[in-house]
Amino acid sequence: MLNNAPDAAHYPVDPTRSDLVEEFRRSPKGPHSRELQMLLHRMRWESPGGRYVLYAVEPGKRWMLGKLPGKCNAPVELMHNRVYDSPAAAEWDVFKLRWEALTGQALTEPAIGN
Amino acid sequence: MRLGGIDTTSVLGYAWPPVVEPGGRVAFHLSSATLKQVDLSLVRVRCGDPDAAGPGLKAVPIASAIDGKRAVRHQPLRPGSCAVIADRPVLRGIDSFSVGAFIWPTLPGVAAQTILARWRDGAGWRFGLDAGGHLELAICDGKAVVVARTSQPALGREWLFVCGSYDARTGTLSVRQVSLDPQAGRDRTASGTASAAPGLRWIADAPLMIAAQAIGEANFDGKIDRPRLCRGAIDAAAMRALCEAINPPAGDADLIAAWDFSIDIPGQTVRDRSANRLHGELVQIPARGVTGANWDGTANDWRALPAHYGAIHFCSDDMQDAGWSPDFTLDIPADLRGGYYALRMTAQPADGDPVDSYVGFFVRTPRTAPKAKLAIIVPLATYLAYANGALRMDQVHAESMLEGLLVLSRDDLYLQVHREVGLSTYDTHADGSGWRVSSAKRPILNMRPRCNTFNYGNDTHLIDWLEEKGIDYDVVSDEDLHRDGLAALSPYRCVMTLSHPEYYSREMWDAIDAYQRSGGRHMYLGGNGFYWRIAFHRDLPGVIEVRRDVTGVRTWEGEAGEAHLAFTGESAGLWRSNGRAPQRLVGVGFDAQVFDRSAGYRRMPDGENPRVAWMFAGIAPGEMIGDFGARNGGAAGLEIDRADPELGSPPAMLLVASADRIGYGGMPAPEEFRTFHRGLDGEQNARVRADLVYFPTAKGGGVFSTGSIAWVTALSHNRYDNNVSRLMENVVKRFIDPAPLD
Ligand SMILES: [Fe+2]
Repeated sequence: MLNNAPDAAHYPVDPTRSDLVEEFRRSPKGPHSRELQMLLHRMRWESPGGRYVLYAVEPGKRWMLGKLPGKCNAPVELMHNRVYDSPAAAEWDVFKLRWEALTGQALTEPAIGN
Repeated sequence: MRLGGIDTTSVLGYAWPPVVEPGGRVAFHLSSATLKQVDLSLVRVRCGDPDAAGPGLKAVPIASAIDGKRAVRHQPLRPGSCAVIADRPVLRGIDSFSVGAFIWPTLPGVAAQTILARWRDGAGWRFGLDAGGHLELAICDGKAVVVARTSQPALGREWLFVCGSYDARTGTLSVRQVSLDPQAGRDRTASGTASAAPGLRWIADAPLMIAAQAIGEANFDGKIDRPRLCRGAIDAAAMRALCEAINPPAGDADLIAAWDFSIDIPGQTVRDRSANRLHGELVQIPARGVTGANWDGTANDWRALPAHYGAIHFCSDDMQDAGWSPDFTLDIPADLRGGYYALRMTAQPADGDPVDSYVGFFVRTPRTAPKAKLAIIVPLATYLAYANGALRMDQVHAESMLEGLLVLSRDDLYLQVHREVGLSTYDTHADGSGWRVSSAKRPILNMRPRCNTFNYGNDTHLIDWLEEKGIDYDVVSDEDLHRDGLAALSPYRCVMTLSHPEYYSREMWDAIDAYQRSGGRHMYLGGNGFYWRIAFHRDLPGVIEVRRDVTGVRTWEGEAGEAHLAFTGESAGLWRSNGRAPQRLVGVGFDAQVFDRSAGYRRMPDGENPRVAWMFAGIAPGEMIGDFGARNGGAAGLEIDRADPELGSPPAMLLVASADRIGYGGMPAPEEFRTFHRGLDGEQNARVRADLVYFPTAKGGGVFSTGSIAWVTALSHNRYDNNVSRLMENVVKRFIDPAPLD
């Protein structure tokens, strides 16, 4: 087995870097600056708060947020109240959840696209 | 279940055989846990990918005898590999007995596991591990179970000698385990005894089972090496001697069985060296050709020293033959065109989403009646290698690789909770070992319309394009290439390999090579092709074996000493490590993955060479090629290949275009660098790129390669009016023209 343990990503998150938050909010798909790349790697590899995924309710049209259970033979937890009409809206929502999990600070910027 | 969207999993099935000729017959094996009835139809798959960025789902109904409503039933799956030794007279009337083996448990302490048993309807005996990982011998006369067990749980991935006995004179039941490496805290040597009734006899009419108590019950996870069974209660030292001996004296009248798993490793029979010849049949294809307790690194190839490869690695989740009864058959009309086909199953349950589920299969062109000048090669080996991949959900790297959230389909939600369908060769078993074998005799969720787009879905973009352009083509599959060799291709002036012909047996490679050398024309329209060296099974159709070694983009690594295929003994791993880099065959070879965004190709100086003017007819010299496409906006993406003369790209090759501006999401394959340093990603590293190449071969043949999986997904852009489509038309036209290429 390859070792890709979630706790291997340890780039420190600086809660004062609202510029990186703004860079991501403007362009969730990138390309991103080096520092934002590192912040995103930390968020995506570690995925604090649970392994977020999207379920394509209607491929290309509608996505629902879910969480992987961390073991097989247990269902993906689907969050029926978090449904998006664009991947960018979902990316921003998950970014906010992870930012808060890593820094303890909630982001209040409005979602894009919604 | 109502989730919104379309339910693709409430009824599943498989077609057998997966590739059929017109005039042949295909059987459909279906199961549904929830539906009682489905509407059936046959469809010809023109595009299986519903993504609106591409051609969209195009499944053309074909009237057939199976049209209409049909009842479906639930057919369970019983995963877990084991060996079954049929009941024989020699197994009757035994009272005292002893068992022994070397074991390397990989998942001790999770559930009860069986090493050897003769057990039926709650009676008999079972030698194995209990749910806590302790060695135990249980005996039961149908009323009371008596168990002798050790106090020490087995350690995972450490060899133990284990033995047990029942003495019918005294009723004493005993077990003993001995750690082969007892130092540094690893010692689990321990014994246990219990008192059962004296005079118990073996039950009748039950098979002897290795690695399971019965099919799908109390299966073993890990290796079992040299299991022995004998009459009389012998002590641990005497049993140890029997287990150490590769070939115990067959004249020993008390020796009931001494299995040697190193005999005929490619086969599915386990051989008993005792005079009783209690041979058994393997179920669900466990891994053979694996290192035994006595393996010491003297040999890395089981053919060189089989005695060190007397183990089998069983897994409780091995699944290669669903064993479902067929529901009905379809006689393939003699005039049905070769292509991608599927059984479509629909339903509208009152309490759920609309069901639209498919069983994919392929119709090949009759061997004796080739029609077109062009043939496509259906990459069955790739579909099998990727069958039911769940890796994205099990390992954390997917989101980083995609530079975005993982998007799951309804099929993924199903796989997450239904691992019993058997996973892909990218996945790891519950015990952490890699899936080495894949078979088509089970539902394959990602080899049918509406499936996750990789491979099957992408390949149908090419089918759609051929139909759109009215280009006639015949159909050949990987397995035809493997079993028939060059004869499968020689009727054709041109053949196409599709978006991801990654898994190649030696026979398949040799067929393509011989074809190219005999004047054939090959359009390789994908990326990461000709990468892993695999084998098809000698006797079982629709079954491949993959072994991942210590290089290549590998999602697991095999154990030391296990890099040779059990099916053939050949060295596995990458073709590049086997003296055949893909560059030598098709000009380009795998260099990187890029899953976040795709790029276009720019014309290179060779692209202006008059020798290839025909290729660029209708395309302006400065035009970027394929800076569009359904997969991340470019024709160069996902997995990409580059030319390299040092790896065998031929001197006569023209590098006509190159996508060498891949962003930081482009990461080189491990075999592409020897030492780590900054700057390896595609933003900084020009070796992360997709090359478009052409070269002539012997006798007027030629090769055209695109070096990118995303290539075919650009074909339908702008209603098929684009330069990828134009270039492809130019190449097809020239490649089916008999005039020699230069
Ligand atoms: Fe691949």
